[in-house]
Order: sequence, then structure tokens, then C-alpha cells
Amino acid sequence: MQDVASQLIEALGSKTVALPGLNGVQVPEFILTSWGIMALIMIMTLVFTRNLKVVPGKAQVVLEGIYLFIHNFLSDILGERGKRYIPYLGTVLLYLAVSNTIGLFGLTPPTKDLNTTAGLALMSIVLVEYAGIHEKGLRGYFKSFASPMPAMMPFNVLEIFIRPLSLCMRLFGNIFGGFVIMELIRLIVPVIIPLSFGFYFDVFDGLLQAYVFVFLTSLFMQEKLEA
Amino acid sequence: MSALIGIGAGIAVFTGIGAGIGIGIATSKATEAIARQPEAKSEMNKTLILGCALAEATAIYGLVIAFLIIFFSK
Repeated sequence: MQDVASQLIEALGSKTVALPGLNGVQVPEFILTSWGIMALIMIMTLVFTRNLKVVPGKAQVVLEGIYLFIHNFLSDILGERGKRYIPYLGTVLLYLAVSNTIGLFGLTPPTKDLNTTAGLALMSIVLVEYAGIHEKGLRGYFKSFASPMPAMMPFNVLEIFIRPLSLCMRLFGNIFGGFVIMELIRLIVPVIIPLSFGFYFDVFDGLLQAYVFVFLTSLFMQEKLEA
Repeated sequence: MSALIGIGAGIAVFTGIGAGIGIGIATSKATEAIARQPEAKSEMNKTLILGCALAEATAIYGLVIAFLIIFFSK
């Protein structure tokens, strides 16, 4: 039992990798995975958006399906005035969807590390507040803290800090928890069973959390745009 | 000492009770609502996922606290 515990703790710690040709600069492993995912998404975007036709081929039908799903899902929530934020939110959705499910291929998901989710949550809250300022002007933005009545002001100010914290912790906790359980199962039974559990923890839970993260961000944004 | 750490982490995970009850209630009501009005299913699904995400967050906080207790109390 002690053996399993020490192996588990070793698997959970974040490893660093020395970059070749940079005098041994140490880079955390999750950053490398993150770069890999970005490169993958960029290359796939460039490859699949070449030679778009009016009468779509098979690949283009799938592409249009994904695009329409993201676009409809976000524009339903954000409305007409939030259209300019759809590209960013869609990108985050794609990135999270890939990085949460990458555990299926034996890599550590970047969202398993608190730093990644904290960065994403910070970006989200900055964009949410920016959307509020852009929509109502600086004066209107500060006035909106006193709505619906001035007594609510402390809570509205607190929300700026609580929302990113909750976004960050929710994503991190889900992926980290799933990762711990997957590592435990892998240590006890290395074959077949991890695969079936992987479909729940990596694919279902990963995609759901990506959806929830973007859904909540766009919901906060819509609130800022409207109120 | 390590036994006490284990007990503390175990107590922190009791937050799962609240999340379980909350998600259970939300899902049962959503099922009833969809049975009554199947045409508004997509709208209800969205609200259900939002509610579940918020309820689940409490359980996740418990989990995070448990991890913090285990990893940072040595």
C-alpha cells in the first residue's frame, strides 16, 4: 500500500523537461504539452480551412458542423452585441476540449496544473470586465456596481474575485481529481479497465468541463453586456 | 500524525454529500419538467448543466482542500 502511495505521489508531481539547445533551460512538462496542443490546433485549422468549396466535401461538413455548434451555442447566450467575443471563447473551447481529453493518449493534460487554469480564468475575467467597460463606458461600468441597489455593492465587487477563483478551481479540481483516479486505477489494474474509465473521466468529464467553463464565462459576459 | 492528516482529508471530502443531493434534486426536477414539456428540452438542458456545474463546484472545493491537506501538511 505504501508502495502504491509513493508511486501515485510521484505521478502527480509536475515534471520539468530540459529544452535542447537552450543551455538546459527547464520547462515544466505541461507547458510543452500546451504548446503541442496549440501547434496541433493551428495546423489543423490551416489545413482544413484551405480550399473551402460552396458544395462541401466530407471534411468540410464536419468542420461546418463544429463551427455552427460553437457559433450557435455562444451567440444564443451572448446575443447580438456580444458577437465580437465569439472567436476568443470558441478558441478557448477548442483548446480546453483538446487539452482535457489528451489524457486518453497517455499525456498529462495541461489543465491538470493549477497555473494553466488560473491563467485561463484571469483571461476570462479580464475579458468579462472589458466587455462591461466597452459596452457602457467607464462611468456606466462603475455605476453598474450599485445595481440593483447601492447596498449590493460589496457583493458586486467581491464577484470580480470570486468568479475567476471559482472558474479556475472548478476546472483544476475536476481534471486533477479525474487524473488522480485514473492514475490509481492504472497502478492497480494496468490493462483494459483504465480505458473504459478513461472514456468517462477523460472524454465525458473533460468535454463537459470545457463546455461549462466557456458557458459560465459567456454567461458572466452576457450579464455585463445587458445590465 | 499521518492518520490525523488522513482523517482531515476524509472530512473535507464530506462536501460531496451536499453536491450529490443538490445535483440529484436538480436532475429529478429537470426530468419532471422535460416529461411535462418535451419541446423546451434544450433550454432545460442548458439550465440543468449550469446548475449542476455550480452545485458540483462545492464538491470540487472539498476535493481541492483534501489534496492541499495531504500534500502541504508534511
